[in-house]
Amino acid sequence: MLRESPLKDVVRAGRYGADKGAPGVTLSVVHPLSLVMVIARKGKAKAAKESLTAMRGATVMWAGPDQYYVKGAEAAALKKKLGDAASIIDQSHGRVMFRISGPKSRALLAKGTPVDLHADEFPIGKSAVTQMAHVGAHLTCTGKDDFELSVFRGFSESFWEWLTEQALEFGYQVN
Amino acid sequence: MGPGFRRDDDLGSNLIITCPHCGARPVEEFTFLGDAKPQRPTSNDPSSMEQWFDYVYLRDNPKGRIDEFAHHSGGCRAWLVVTRNTETHEVHGTVTAKDYAVRAKKSGR
Amino acid sequence: MGSFRLSSGGLIDRCKRLNFTFDGESFQGFAGDSLASALMANGRMLMGRSFKYHRPRGPITAGAAEPNALVELRSGGRKEANTRATMVELHEGLEAKSQNRWPSLGFDVGAINSLASSIFVAGFYYKTFMWPKSFWEKIYEPLIRKAAGLGAASREADPDRYEKSYAHCDLLVIGSGPAGLMAALAAARSGGRVILADEGSELGGSLLFEREEIGGKTGLEWARGVIAELASMTNITLMPRTTIFGWFDGNIFGAVERVADHVAAPTHNEPRQRYWRIIAKKAVLAAGAEERPIVFGGNDVPGVMTASAMRHYANRYGVAAGHNIAVFANNPSGARSLRDLRAHGLNATAVDHPIINVKGGKGVKAAVLAGGHDIPCDAIAVSGGWSPIVNLMCHRGTRPVWNEKLAAFLPPDVGAEFVAAGSANGKMLLSECLTDGAAKGTLKGKPPAVPKCKDEAYAISPLWWVKESKGKAFVDYQNDVTVKDLPLAAREGYNHIELAKRYTTAGMATDQGKLGNINAIAILAEATGKTIPEIGTTTFRPFYTPVSFGAFAGPFTGKHFQPVRKSPLHQWGEEQGAVFVETGLWMRSSWFPRKGEDWLAAATREVKATRNGVGLCDVSTLGKIDVHGKDAGRFLDILYCNTFSTLAVGKARYGLMLREDGIVMDDGTTSRFAEDHFVMTTTTANAAKVMSHMEFVHQALFPELDVTYTSVTEQWAQMAMAGPSARATLNKIVDGAKLDDTNTPYMAAREISILKGLPARLFRISFSGEHAYELAVPADFGNGVARALMQAGKEFGIMPYGIEALSIMRIEKGHVAGGELNGTTTAGDLGLGKMMSTKKDYIGRVMAGREGLVDPKRQVVVGIRPVDKRDRLRAGSHLLTRGQSPSLANDQGYITSVAWSPMLNMWIGLALLSDGRNRKGEVVQVFDGLRNHHMLAEICEPMQFDPENRRLHA
Ligand SMILES: [Zn+2]
Repeated sequence: MLRESPLKDVVRAGRYGADKGAPGVTLSVVHPLSLVMVIARKGKAKAAKESLTAMRGATVMWAGPDQYYVKGAEAAALKKKLGDAASIIDQSHGRVMFRISGPKSRALLAKGTPVDLHADEFPIGKSAVTQMAHVGAHLTCTGKDDFELSVFRGFSESFWEWLTEQALEFGYQVN
Repeated sequence: MGPGFRRDDDLGSNLIITCPHCGARPVEEFTFLGDAKPQRPTSNDPSSMEQWFDYVYLRDNPKGRIDEFAHHSGGCRAWLVVTRNTETHEVHGTVTAKDYAVRAKKSGR
Repeated sequence: MGSFRLSSGGLIDRCKRLNFTFDGESFQGFAGDSLASALMANGRMLMGRSFKYHRPRGPITAGAAEPNALVELRSGGRKEANTRATMVELHEGLEAKSQNRWPSLGFDVGAINSLASSIFVAGFYYKTFMWPKSFWEKIYEPLIRKAAGLGAASREADPDRYEKSYAHCDLLVIGSGPAGLMAALAAARSGGRVILADEGSELGGSLLFEREEIGGKTGLEWARGVIAELASMTNITLMPRTTIFGWFDGNIFGAVERVADHVAAPTHNEPRQRYWRIIAKKAVLAAGAEERPIVFGGNDVPGVMTASAMRHYANRYGVAAGHNIAVFANNPSGARSLRDLRAHGLNATAVDHPIINVKGGKGVKAAVLAGGHDIPCDAIAVSGGWSPIVNLMCHRGTRPVWNEKLAAFLPPDVGAEFVAAGSANGKMLLSECLTDGAAKGTLKGKPPAVPKCKDEAYAISPLWWVKESKGKAFVDYQNDVTVKDLPLAAREGYNHIELAKRYTTAGMATDQGKLGNINAIAILAEATGKTIPEIGTTTFRPFYTPVSFGAFAGPFTGKHFQPVRKSPLHQWGEEQGAVFVETGLWMRSSWFPRKGEDWLAAATREVKATRNGVGLCDVSTLGKIDVHGKDAGRFLDILYCNTFSTLAVGKARYGLMLREDGIVMDDGTTSRFAEDHFVMTTTTANAAKVMSHMEFVHQALFPELDVTYTSVTEQWAQMAMAGPSARATLNKIVDGAKLDDTNTPYMAAREISILKGLPARLFRISFSGEHAYELAVPADFGNGVARALMQAGKEFGIMPYGIEALSIMRIEKGHVAGGELNGTTTAGDLGLGKMMSTKKDYIGRVMAGREGLVDPKRQVVVGIRPVDKRDRLRAGSHLLTRGQSPSLANDQGYITSVAWSPMLNMWIGLALLSDGRNRKGEVVQVFDGLRNHHMLAEICEPMQFDPENRRLHA
């Protein structure tokens, strides 16, 4: 059985909003997503962090005190690797991830989050857990003007509607 | 989890709290639970009812400094203890509720 | 009457004519005009009527403090009342109306109030409309509102969008006059992140209209040079059309950016306004100073305006307020206006005696001077001195400080995070403003060099009001407070400034007394024999100028008032024709109507089909929490009143969670998948609350526990499969060994594989009382698995059922839910007292033993059914001992849940009844107060259907 995105009928590729010049932001949905939450067990924070840092081929994102989202690794593999140093909880289906890039990505995200996203304060690789449009969001800076953002699956459609409305003034491309 | 309660995030209620995990965030990302000083009694004996009553119901309402529980419900979801001045709104400091509890248990308060 | 548009000058574009209407009449202005300047250029000085006396009024300022020229803009859903014509940018097609007049601006019936003014003194409304009390709501208030209201709001929905945004900076500069530009320049050059905000349509502040020289250029040329430099830098954001309206804790500033107020309608892509929250490490208030009028008789006649406003209109807009202008000032602003107005070829004369009255009604005809002679004129420029615009710095409770020499309140010292610069800081010379701005804006190193400029000396001899005045002399224009009202307030005992404000209304409404407050304080000081600093100011609060509700609401209106949360089985629900009902934020499939069915008919059919065959229900919205760790069992033992540490792996158990005060908080089943892994479920409604509670209990109370917990509500799509054919249906999709009572007995919890390799969690639990399962699959597979189950169950007559059918079945079975877990009931009340362990500590244990919570007379859960089966029970109805009349004293309890039972063919319910367990079989009186309906009902066991639970194990 194929995985079905909750946004399959909602997100449509194309150019929207202000149509002068290059789009201010480019938006896309990361699907199918592989995202696993790793929470260090008591007294194992250091061990868990070290094992995660040593991992290859997966992205480790801070997600709270001694907690991480690991993108691109199977839950079973992580369980094997971390043993009883951490709890491993698969959220690949529970969260929906958006990719937001382009020169206006910070201006767009600032409409939702109070986190200061200036490159000096929120450099590449940094993550924050915050609230955007009344929805809990996990945000990571992945490139010069590039971000990845995930929300609970159930809110994804509502959040997408908000996000795209806020992007109208910049002009946006959906891939 | 979920979005938590909708707070009055638009009128006047602006305060910056520095979460030890997340850094400076405005007050609308937090939910509050009042005075953090009362310690949960350790006894389960019905004779300890008076202590329990104090713990569950009685809270100081000082003019000045107070240690208050704040939940970073719109962020990392850590419970914090914020020390602030109820008169001036000055925030003196923030520690995690975990550290606060460990410290309180050590000092035997 | 000559033309009021000067032949040259101004920052208007004379090649670009704009058409607009005022009270339906068509006019033309130029690009760059304000609505006020365009009306004045057309000879229309009369722009509104006053609040109480309905006196004719024209603009008295050219800016944000304007109390008089309030107009209504646009129409339909875009209608906006109480906008200041002085701040409205003229645009093609602008539609404006005067307000507070009837039937027309020129002839207003309400003006008769002016003739009766001796009775309309301060406190008039309070004194007159007091009796009889019943008249207030029906007669007095509507009448007063009609006669004395400001503009009226639209009743239509606003079609435009509003946005919100956060901004962060090292320095926020408020105001872009000489001090603000210098501060922004200093900060930007030192590399900091800077925001420069100004409420005007164009940056430059006073340099847009004052004739000054800076660095050998005109002030305007200098300003434009600085603005060009700033615009070329990447570390500064220029925000014109942005009003900083409030200063809040944490050095957060609230602002409104008028993105598209200067055009007829925003484009599809832009909002009308954007609400900003600016988090500033440091801020400089460079908002300038407000020129205040002098109080004299007739000082409100259209054509009387502040001296700076008059040269503002002439220098910036190329508009004359009049052709023969009398100038009355106690400071050098008068000489400035004389110089500038004469330079435009206008006839301007300084008065040699104070003005005591003004002749003219809808326009100035002459100024009457003390000593008795008149000066014929058509406009009067007046200056009573300058008040630094300190408002923002006083928003957090600090009061401004009186300065005798400047006869002005200066901003208080509120710390280094927020400082004032320039004339907002009492600097009255241009060179001082530039130097002050440069110093306050410098974030590190030395302040930049300040250009040379020519100063005009400043001195003031205080003059608040002209005592010989004849006729009405206004202190507060917007509220029609005259010089007589304040001493009256003092005589009647309202001599504190805060009391006098409320008694006279001076300083209230949209302008918040920006022009009148200092004069009011001075007059009150004199009336009470105190000094001005002794009287002090009223409290400054946000908002500096009015902010629209649209800006506050932002994008969160209508459909987006709150986020919508959809189940992973939402699409399956849609395919099955579900009616969705909001529960919290979730949209839940509540019933699946077929042609001609209402909700009850649909739910009845769903119940029957489930109990006779098999039903499928979306239960994904239940809170699901993965609990891991060595101490997971111990943690659950603390959270629940019953024990989980003893639960065998592969088993599920029902749990009851108390609050620390002993009242029930939530319930649900928890299953154990491994020694260190449990899966907890919560009710849909309490999922967020329970998660916060768990975090509190662990982090704040038992931090020593080795446990983690994570919401997996959204990871799993969960389906209840209930009914005699549930197992047969599931067995068609299960991989490997088929389900039976040995491998999957009642209360089993297993990880299984379905549909050739999909991982799933299977729980044999039942809320309906049927042989039932809950099947959880990763959410992306939810719709697919539900479709597969519908296919598999076809031969058994599978039926989707919704929350309504679920609720009917749980009431038939006497299971408690929201109506009973209502924040007042104990475990004992729910008939679950035996679950409370005596062998362990848990949240709520001791408090649950309080006398009042174990009182045998407490209301406990019982079943209830009508004596006459045709009667309908209603939730919320009260229960009385038979024969007693409804009263609080006789109240025995109430009905918490009702349902039409398709199995029992009558309405049944659950109720909370005092001492209910000992009253089974008793017939009670049911009183539905809403419908004033009485009936009889019999108390019974909560479980009214299949009381032996035979179906559960069938
Ligand atoms: Zn945090």
